[in-house]
Amino acid sequence: MNRSDFAPLGFGVGLRRPHYIYILDEQPLMDWFEVISENFMVEGGRPLEVLEGVRSQYPIVMHGVSLSIGSTDPLNIGYLRQLATIARRFEPAWISDHLCWTSVGGRNLHDLLPLPYTEETVRHVAARIRQVQDILERTILIENVSSYMEFSSSRLSEWEFLSAVAEKADCGILLDINNIFVSAFNHRFDPVCYIDSVPPGRVVQFHLAGHSDHGTYLLDTHDHPIRPEVWTLYEHAVRRFGRVPTLIEWDDNIPEFEVLAAAADEARRRCESVLSREGPGAVECT
Amino acid sequence: MNLPELQTLLYQLITTPEGAKRIGNERRPAPGRIETLVRGDQRLSAIERVNIYADAYFYRLLDCLYEEFPATFAVVGSDNFAALVRDYLLACPPTEPSIFYAGRYLDSFLRNHPLAKRWPFISELARLERAILDVFHAADTSTLSDEAMRAIPSEQWPAIKFETHPAVEILRNEWRVADVLCAVESGRGWSQPAHQKTAVLVWRQDAQVNYRDLEDMETRALALLSEGASFAAICEAIAALATGSDQVPLIGRLLARWLGDGIIVRADAMLTTSPITSRI
Repeated sequence: MNRSDFAPLGFGVGLRRPHYIYILDEQPLMDWFEVISENFMVEGGRPLEVLEGVRSQYPIVMHGVSLSIGSTDPLNIGYLRQLATIARRFEPAWISDHLCWTSVGGRNLHDLLPLPYTEETVRHVAARIRQVQDILERTILIENVSSYMEFSSSRLSEWEFLSAVAEKADCGILLDINNIFVSAFNHRFDPVCYIDSVPPGRVVQFHLAGHSDHGTYLLDTHDHPIRPEVWTLYEHAVRRFGRVPTLIEWDDNIPEFEVLAAAADEARRRCESVLSREGPGAVECT
Repeated sequence: MNLPELQTLLYQLITTPEGAKRIGNERRPAPGRIETLVRGDQRLSAIERVNIYADAYFYRLLDCLYEEFPATFAVVGSDNFAALVRDYLLACPPTEPSIFYAGRYLDSFLRNHPLAKRWPFISELARLERAILDVFHAADTSTLSDEAMRAIPSEQWPAIKFETHPAVEILRNEWRVADVLCAVESGRGWSQPAHQKTAVLVWRQDAQVNYRDLEDMETRALALLSEGASFAAICEAIAALATGSDQVPLIGRLLARWLGDGIIVRADAMLTTSPITSRI
């Protein structure tokens, strides 16, 4: 995998239903949109019509939530065929999903559950990612998830696990800065250390989002503005990884489109500011 | 504990009503008690950590089903609806990658649920709400336009055969549940629907889903149309059911409405070269 194989898309936002009409009618300035793959894995109707319209004006990326790459169930070939079909139709710049499991025994939790961080799990997940890449005939990205539990059987840190899986599967990484911050609080690790340990050559995209503070833990709710601490962490990530396509996620209590667009502009401003001051790679890679 | 066992156990903990707390306290799973599998700390115990996922599972699906069945929710109320969803998820846990399919059995589940004793129409109401979702996402295909129909030589009309658009469903009900849905959608208070056999047509036009009650005659005609009957056979059926001498204008009005609503998608083979319009 070569990071330069992926288009330098710039700064985008998630395509969400409340903004469909505005985007189609007004065609606002936006570098690109990320769509939830499963929302468009339908036979027909309005969702596909909307995506046709958006795709005709903007680059898109497909981001899945149900690949269940860490499950011990067999890969869902029907799901992958559907994914391949819409990918052929809409030609996303890339396809991503999460480093987690969402289903077992043929039943789906519709949530992103963490895995035990062991060498055995690295081998299991990496082999499945390779299978998926063969079926989709493209390199995919895997995203670090927010988590609320860790397993006693884990022998690797989360960043060691993420890096090992990406190396072994030869896939890209979608680095969610907010997820790192949330998990760092929940499991008491240093988020800067996490970022400094991820191989720069594999990071193809960033996610930024808001979260909720529940006192004893942070919850990745995507329903708030991005917190200042996450912006600071983002700037640190830009120092290490350089100009990486960045996406603002907002999935609940969704505000006006302009609010999301302003967050994308803020990411652009901070990225340019960091790079003009310090240039990429200012942080020592470990 | 290997990975399949761990995932199976977590699935059980997360999907059990009341979450991991109940299993954790009442029948701690051997060989791994939760505390030996999941790291807890002073801020959150292992059980509390698993319960974050258990809560998320239930409330995510509750929100999803609330959005998909707003009239069912309005009738039974929030407490009953939450209890219904809890029962439903135990009986019909999600199996598809897309959460869109999570509620597809709710109407059939409701048929034998205690809530159906108090609200005997509730299963039919949920079925109507589900049909609206299914029609919204149904396949696209070209439809026969009024102009294309008129272009067919009149001597060919008796032999014409139609099909309904994939985004068309006809529901046969014992209760007039469309009245309840209409009342909820318009923000009016709903009232007990009439206990009266009725058919409801659900269809999509310009990406919007519509529904309306059907008269017996139109129900019969659409049933024949779906079965592949010729236009002549459909006309005969309408004529047999119609009273008075207005049969021809009646047939014309029905056909015009079907064409206008875009519920007819294809005539028989001899029409395949006729102009058609593309619509979703």
